[in-house]
Amino acid sequence: MRASKFPGHTAAISQVRISPDGRWIASASADGTAKIWDASTGEHMDSLVGHMAGVSCIAWAPDSEGLATGGDDKAIRLWDRVTASPAHAVGEGAGRGEEGGYGSVRRVKAGGGFLQKGAVGKGARGTRSGRGPLLGHHNYVYCLAFSPKGNILASGSYDEAVFLWDVRAGRLMRSLPAHSDPVSGIDFSRDGTLVASCSTDGLIRIWDTSTGQCLRTLVHEDNPPVTNVCFSPNGRFVLAFNMDNCIRMWDYVAGSVKKTYQGHKNSGYSIGGSFGKLETDDEDAVSGRRAEAFVASASEDGDIVMWDVKSKEIVQRIQHAHKGVCFWVDVHGDILVSCGQDGFINVFRHRREGHDKVPNGIDGGVDHEGNHSMNADEELQRQIEGETTPQVKREEFEEEEQL
Amino acid sequence: MNLLLSDDYLLQDYPEHITNTIRSGHSTCVRFNRKGDYLASGRVDGTVVIWDLETMGVARKLRGHSKNISSLSWSRCGRYLLSACQGWKAILWDLQDGKRYREVRFRAPVYGAELHPWNPHEFVVALFEEQPLLVDVTNPTDVRHVLPTVPKRTNTENDVALREKQAKEDARNMTTAIIYSAGGDHILAGTNKGRLNIIDAKTREIIYTEKICSGIVTTLRLSESGKEMLVNSQDRIIRTFHVPNLSAPDLDPDTIQIPLEHKFQDVVNRLSWNHVAFSSSGEYVAASTYNNHELYIWERGHGSLVRMLEGPKEEQGVIEWHPHKALLAACGLETGRINIWSVTSPQKWSALAPDFAEVEENVEYIEKEDEFDIHPQEEIQKRRLDAEDEAVDVLGVGEPVDDTDGFRMPILFNLGESDSEEEFVNVSLGTLRRKSPGDQDDAEEALADERAATRKPAGGGGRRGRKK
Repeated sequence: MRASKFPGHTAAISQVRISPDGRWIASASADGTAKIWDASTGEHMDSLVGHMAGVSCIAWAPDSEGLATGGDDKAIRLWDRVTASPAHAVGEGAGRGEEGGYGSVRRVKAGGGFLQKGAVGKGARGTRSGRGPLLGHHNYVYCLAFSPKGNILASGSYDEAVFLWDVRAGRLMRSLPAHSDPVSGIDFSRDGTLVASCSTDGLIRIWDTSTGQCLRTLVHEDNPPVTNVCFSPNGRFVLAFNMDNCIRMWDYVAGSVKKTYQGHKNSGYSIGGSFGKLETDDEDAVSGRRAEAFVASASEDGDIVMWDVKSKEIVQRIQHAHKGVCFWVDVHGDILVSCGQDGFINVFRHRREGHDKVPNGIDGGVDHEGNHSMNADEELQRQIEGETTPQVKREEFEEEEQL
Repeated sequence: MNLLLSDDYLLQDYPEHITNTIRSGHSTCVRFNRKGDYLASGRVDGTVVIWDLETMGVARKLRGHSKNISSLSWSRCGRYLLSACQGWKAILWDLQDGKRYREVRFRAPVYGAELHPWNPHEFVVALFEEQPLLVDVTNPTDVRHVLPTVPKRTNTENDVALREKQAKEDARNMTTAIIYSAGGDHILAGTNKGRLNIIDAKTREIIYTEKICSGIVTTLRLSESGKEMLVNSQDRIIRTFHVPNLSAPDLDPDTIQIPLEHKFQDVVNRLSWNHVAFSSSGEYVAASTYNNHELYIWERGHGSLVRMLEGPKEEQGVIEWHPHKALLAACGLETGRINIWSVTSPQKWSALAPDFAEVEENVEYIEKEDEFDIHPQEEIQKRRLDAEDEAVDVLGVGEPVDDTDGFRMPILFNLGESDSEEEFVNVSLGTLRRKSPGDQDDAEEALADERAATRKPAGGGGRRGRKK
């Protein structure tokens, strides 16, 4: 379903994620749609329409060909990036084996993937057929993550459970009674053997994917709610976004906090961020690698904040990136994207040293005019730069942002 | 990465009980890939099914054979799979697109075909009442080399009668099992006369031959290292042998010795063995039994029987040990289900409650000096933050990961469609299995269909009738 006329989101954007190959950006919005954008041009590619309520989370399949979205309609939907249609085709006839299944005719009618009464009733059984959604959660689906192979999808929900789904068959594989509060974040380790989940009950749990057993529980003494969790690129640490204005990096084997990052604001919303990696010119003294890691996070005052992983110092703050709360930041290579309450997506690109610093280059949209008090050592800038005239580029970008 | 957190190394390293049963049609033959994340199974109807062991679901179906699959062999990279069937052909599949990469036809049913351990374009086949072949499919037209089953004789030029007699004898010698050595430069072949031949893969001549058992050799297996060989033969004895390094540059064919290590047999019940397998490390030997539903596991070090696995009351055929886990897969002969035996560790409750620890017995708690001191909140916070001065590496992976192949099995969504003869069947909450029409449990569904049909005249439409 392609809605090219009005490509922009009409409500707050809850999550934005860059595809694993770095070519696409996907956003999930409270307006009930998810959208795919071209990461290099900012062009709107497709809208994923089907959820009956706001979409809270979005995840890319590792091959960048598929997506999963989860929403307040308790459903998880799998999508094909190219066709923007539901990915599953578990045979229209496949429903025959299920007792009490709704007829195939009705399913075809549901074409666009709108949830129907019959489907909701079947949800509790954790099965689905046709091009329907993955049903099983009893409450809002709040976070999603694909395994590195793409064969398993993990979902966390307001019903306090973590579900592991067999992506191929669209079948609920395992249900983990994970937390005592809504599950707010979930992530797979890089080898896919571990799943980390977190909740506003203040716990971070590490699960064994193959057995479904809890291997470790991490809890901070003050027990602040955790709103998001992600593994470090090497899988040895987990980053937890706490609602006491702190981001903590845990060594989950030792069970201790290794670093605490402060300076952003996070006390009421579920905000997220990620690790980023930048190529550097000088080698790291310890590892000899020509890259350094940073942590990027959204902030409730609309800023985007970046810290050096080791020194815990803020290396950059992009002020007023969004009006209202900035909800999510994702980093891939040189690109950083953010989304917020204002319904806009901002794309930033790392400016390599030696590149001319054009003051106009950091100009994003009209509505941000006059708010570009970026730091001198700024690493990232708005994407508008390069050979083409800024004017044209800006128009494109405005279009993307304004709608 | 889960190994960092688990005590699974404390678990025993051989399987304990059935943990899963998976089924797609009637499977007769199974094989794990090298990484151990996929299991290929061959069915009676010639379909090859690839299972994802993480989800225990079907990852791919390969259709091309029409007869019972007799053997399967994965390439090292996990991208190619060689399947051989009793319908006189072997297919090399490319799992990237699920298409036939190569198809090779023979003049007889295939006993077994095995890919070269390093080169997916070369394989050996043992054929029924034919000489074994080495097939090279590097070029579009495959090249076949006939491999010998009997060593060349030296002094037969002048004696015609003797030569004829020997030729007759030779014709009765058949290769019944064939595999590559670990390095791939030699071929190990077992014959119907109980002989083991070592064939040089380059010259294709027998460099060593020895009678190792008194019956037909039915299975030859090598351990992962290639230093131990497992032989099943029809004389009801399973034997293990030490294999010297055949790839050694200074290998002298005249001094090769294949010393017998153990003989495993059940002298009381006089059981025959259907199929045998080495454990991942070669430490254990597992065997399925003929006319008996137990699996036997021996420990190789001492040669002692450590376990008899009970499963479904069904005779098990082909048996395979997972390449690095304590996990066994075996095919039930009667139902064609694939049964998986494994070990499970209990959930450690202390993992769920980090403030608690599991202790063996009562421990007297000794309070630390400063444990209950009261400090202002800010000071605690500051101390905490100051303590975080450790250097951390969030990028380094440590040891280089074994991603040499880089092959990733595509995720398919249309398996249901390609599967007209089967259906998804709901068993209970969250469990779903596939079922074939031939399944005995079909009675239930047939009943439902019948019910629907009878309502049809009254209710108008079986579909709606069943909806209730």
